[in-house]
Amino acid sequence: MLRDVIDMTYHKVVETIPLEKREELSDKLIDAILVSKNEDKMPAGLANAILYHWQRGLLTRDAGLAALLEAAVLLEPDKTMEILEGELQLMDIVKQLKRSL
Amino acid sequence: MVRFGIEFVPREAYWKTIYYAIQAEKKGFNYLWITDHFNNRNVYVTLTATTIYTDKITFGPGVTNPYLVNPVITAQAIASLNEAAPGRVVLGIGAGDKTTLDCTGVEMRKPLTAVQECIEIIRRMTSGESVVFEGEVFRVAGTKFLFKPRGRIPIYVGAQGPKMLAMAGRIGDGVLINACHPKDINYAVDCVKKGVSEAGKELTDVDVAAYTSFSVHENLKKATKAAVPVVSFIVAGSPSVVLERHGIDLKSAEEIREALKASQWGQAFGLVSPEMIEAFSVCGTPDMCIERITQLLKSGISQFVVGSPIGPNVREAINLIGEKIIPRFKP
Repeated sequence: MLRDVIDMTYHKVVETIPLEKREELSDKLIDAILVSKNEDKMPAGLANAILYHWQRGLLTRDAGLAALLEAAVLLEPDKTMEILEGELQLMDIVKQLKRSL
Repeated sequence: MVRFGIEFVPREAYWKTIYYAIQAEKKGFNYLWITDHFNNRNVYVTLTATTIYTDKITFGPGVTNPYLVNPVITAQAIASLNEAAPGRVVLGIGAGDKTTLDCTGVEMRKPLTAVQECIEIIRRMTSGESVVFEGEVFRVAGTKFLFKPRGRIPIYVGAQGPKMLAMAGRIGDGVLINACHPKDINYAVDCVKKGVSEAGKELTDVDVAAYTSFSVHENLKKATKAAVPVVSFIVAGSPSVVLERHGIDLKSAEEIREALKASQWGQAFGLVSPEMIEAFSVCGTPDMCIERITQLLKSGISQFVVGSPIGPNVREAINLIGEKIIPRFKP
């Protein structure tokens, strides 16, 4: 049920993120979301999905990471691209996102 | 063994507060206190979300007041919460903040009596009684829940003045003392002891909490910068007797008060001195905070509450507290 609120584009994208980058990416996306002043752009269903996965320690797994990525793109698109491209060198992910969205 | 609490002001979107609540639970906090101000998100909505996303942490309003919410409705709210999270609910109640009450046009009438009567009504209702009560401030003509409440809910009294502190010791299950410095906590605990002794109890029967303004960061300057705005408001709202106890110039405090009133934030914050930070916050690196908490424990507190601002970055600060501070006080 929680998967329904997360755009499938993000599911497909996060599946290709290497395991060794997931924790750092999850951490940076959470920071970007929590300090964002654009909290009104967060859909309630997506926020609840993030909380659900956070409570269960699943924010580095596919569904949790997809929810975080979607929220980060909605709230802080430029910062998110900087994290993916500049900080974590996930160029392929950026390409996939740009192609899909 | 000291227990750790954390206070959140629900001024941000609910999901941020709940994110931090989950984080606090994971990092070993025992208590979560949510402030109750009409101009922020509703305390009970926030607490209801807390019941869904947490499993262990004890939580409650920190603190509500008897003026803006009738005791019958407060009793209903906490009894309902206690059904969703049995045994994890506490209630913090105090006289309220006069500035906030003034905004709503509600008079702070007989605060000591109001809090005492409110507690009696809530205790009786949450124990399932049919309540008829004729007090000086409140009158209840006959109220009973149409559901069975799920057990006793501990009530903490938010107190600063000597009479409220003594009353907290006398009738409270706990007391939330708004203070950060050993001088203030020593004074407050002495007042609580008077009430405890009048009621024929021991101090250990009451959970004595230091409800502090707290800011932690590995970099002292960053921790201090985050504490300044909160300290400026505390200085502005502190009575002369408290300022004098810390050797703080009354004229400087008045200047801060005037600047805040005029919304001249920069000027107000610029007037906050290191002495004010020392008196009205627990602020610094993790080691500095550990030292202050250790001092406060000697005054007889049994709970240490980390309150606003918590740190320049709340998420980082909760991690620091959970990893470097709380473990130092666990056996």
